[in-house]
Amino acid sequence: MILSDYKGANLFDELVDSSGTIRPYYRSVADKLTGLSPEELSQKLRSLELLFLKQGITFTVYGDEQGTERVFPFDPFPRVVPAHEWEHIEAGLIQRITALNLFLYDVYHEQRILKDGIIPPEVVFGASHFRPEFVGVSVPKDAYIHVCGTDLIRDSDGRYLVLEDNGRCPSGVSYVLENRAAMKRVFPQLFSASGVRPVDTYPSDLLATLRHIAPRENPNPTMVLLTPGVHNSAYFEHSFLARQMSIEIVEGRDLIAIDGFVYMRTTRGLRQVDVIYRRIDDDFLDPQVFRKDSCLGVPGLVDAVRRGNVALANAIGTGVADDKVTYAYVPEMIKYYLCQEPILDQVPTYLAWRDDDKKYILDNLPKLVVKAANESGGYGMLIGPTATTAQLAEFRQKILLTPRNYIAQPVVNFSQHPTLIDGCLEGRHVDLRPFVLWGDTVKVLPGGLTRVALKRGSIVVNSSQGGGSKDTWVLAS
Amino acid sequence: MMLSRVADHLYWMSRQIERAENLARLVRVSEEMLLDDESLGRGSAQEYWDPVLTATAMEATFRSLYPYPEQGDTSNFLTLDGRNPDSILSCVRAARENARSVRDKISDEMWTEINALYMLVNSPEGALLLARSPHSFYEKIITSSMLFDGITEATLSRDEGWNFLQLGRLLERADMTSRFLDIRSKSATSSGDSALESLQWGAVLRACSAHASYRRQHGGEISVERVVDLLLFSNEFPRSVRHCLRRADEILHDISGTPTGRYSNASEKITGALLARLSFAGPSEVMARGLHAYIDELQVQLNSAGQAVFESYVLLPGEIDRHFPRHSRQDSLSDWQREQQQQQQQQ
Repeated sequence: MILSDYKGANLFDELVDSSGTIRPYYRSVADKLTGLSPEELSQKLRSLELLFLKQGITFTVYGDEQGTERVFPFDPFPRVVPAHEWEHIEAGLIQRITALNLFLYDVYHEQRILKDGIIPPEVVFGASHFRPEFVGVSVPKDAYIHVCGTDLIRDSDGRYLVLEDNGRCPSGVSYVLENRAAMKRVFPQLFSASGVRPVDTYPSDLLATLRHIAPRENPNPTMVLLTPGVHNSAYFEHSFLARQMSIEIVEGRDLIAIDGFVYMRTTRGLRQVDVIYRRIDDDFLDPQVFRKDSCLGVPGLVDAVRRGNVALANAIGTGVADDKVTYAYVPEMIKYYLCQEPILDQVPTYLAWRDDDKKYILDNLPKLVVKAANESGGYGMLIGPTATTAQLAEFRQKILLTPRNYIAQPVVNFSQHPTLIDGCLEGRHVDLRPFVLWGDTVKVLPGGLTRVALKRGSIVVNSSQGGGSKDTWVLAS
Repeated sequence: MMLSRVADHLYWMSRQIERAENLARLVRVSEEMLLDDESLGRGSAQEYWDPVLTATAMEATFRSLYPYPEQGDTSNFLTLDGRNPDSILSCVRAARENARSVRDKISDEMWTEINALYMLVNSPEGALLLARSPHSFYEKIITSSMLFDGITEATLSRDEGWNFLQLGRLLERADMTSRFLDIRSKSATSSGDSALESLQWGAVLRACSAHASYRRQHGGEISVERVVDLLLFSNEFPRSVRHCLRRADEILHDISGTPTGRYSNASEKITGALLARLSFAGPSEVMARGLHAYIDELQVQLNSAGQAVFESYVLLPGEIDRHFPRHSRQDSLSDWQREQQQQQQQQ
């Protein structure tokens, strides 16, 4: 691997500074990687790919007739985060999840933040993931988001910015663990004396988080992971996590709610379930309460939750906190609930339902990124600078029709990271999704999913749209 | 203790692989025999295939898909026709889907083998091989299924999951062996043509890999009674109906912990009764009753054994009826809907 040809760009480069010098915390890994001969490297890349294929680390691409399974592309050049940067990220994420949980408790109880005029009530009541059915319902430990996967990017000055809070069923953590395992197996020499913090405690931390919300403080609760099923793009992750935690992975049809309690069907009869780590959206949880046509959920589940006989992680209704309009108000929330200044900045956001903002968005469409407020996974998005005239016209129409559904942000020059493309290192845009667990204590997994947009110039990192991933190294010192 | 659905997936995974293997055995030996008959100028091809379709209960599906059958249609229908829900392709596809749902409950090697079998039947290369050399194609399917069985034997813990997996395979094997006999049941009343009889029943033995066992036990001369004796009543031959049922019965008792000879649920009761019936009868009773009629009754019982396993361990009617009188298994429409909805979940 040759580094001499690698160039930074006029945006933040993770590896080299503006003068083209390798950042000190990257020196050791860069030296070791560039010390490999092309033969050694291609042999290692082959073993990596085989490893992923064999373990079936795949995701499903939708839109295909049969949902093709593909291996998630993996780039061997790890992203390195030095200790002082991580301390900042960690503190910022803890502050953020604390504020979001306080916000969720508030909007489902007294709604003080609305009454005090900090957030317009329309923002909350107009969010499609707000669940009025759950106003006044208590949840264990008053906690709503137990697992959070916040997306971070870096602007051209290297500032970490929050791009979105994923507080419903964030996925990707299995890749963090599998990427690390694969790197250790194929590139063991990179790790020696590098001081990389381990990530493998995640499953046991997640298990503790789930146990923490068990009804009636049951010290030995039956916990299960509820998956939509094998056709879901994240099924691999669901089965991986269930296996790592040694809990059952169940589908809706495995569960049955009887008289306010939830049971799973086993070959030894029915067995009561206490905690459900659900990877199904609210809409599909219970056809008696939400979508009537859902085949994935359990009729009567919500009733059991209300009665406090079974606990859900994450709680019902967290989607109102990771709504893209609510996002614009998170700095306000942090000040209101915690009397603190936000530690992590976020991307300036224009809300199409505010007339001034709408005018600005429509006037500057080719310069902006437009997102549907309630979509995720990179769907329903317009990237102004690269959009065609037809796409611009389409979004203009959509914004005029349903302004509440759209927000716009300036195009942020995501940082880039050297990535192996056809045997050469080239800069590619990356983001970072760290994972936060809210249990007895708040834990931020030291690492996270670094997603990389493999297409040159692209800023869409989602796996469904040509993204890959990297191992993320958080250094101990 | 395991999830009922997991037990169901394991049971069907092995059952569908066994079914695919037996269909391959059936088509392979039928095509060979057809060549013999044609070279002797006897009968038409469709006359020859009809009993195969009848015995495998696929006649109606075939007639609706191929109102004017041509040469090769039947073997294609039985092998790679995805529209036939019981074709080899459909069985393997369903087996793989079941395996995918229980990946963490089976060994990596089992998954790899089932995946390889799927690639064989679901690829242009597979179709090409079938066209060029049907014999090697069917041979590969049979070998893959037996390899899967061997890998299971060598890599899977002997827990409840193993039991359900074996149960599926054994019940399917018993069922298919009885169908092999049924195909020739019309010629069971001696036609007087002993050469033809020997040829046809020899083919049934070959389809069940029973030739060597037969010769060892009965010598070279082939008669209907002795073939029936081996394939229905043998205690030793591993593909005989009685042998499969005896093992299935042991496994059912292992699952429930009930001592053999007694029963704690409907499935144990049915296999126990069937086993007793086979233990106290022989070829002469079968021939007196009529081979086809006898096999028909047997298959009805085998079906109810399978249904009883499903009800005792998956549906749990005893427990659920008490609370949920109207609760039943979701139908195939919601299966399809479920698939669509599974894909909509993401963050």
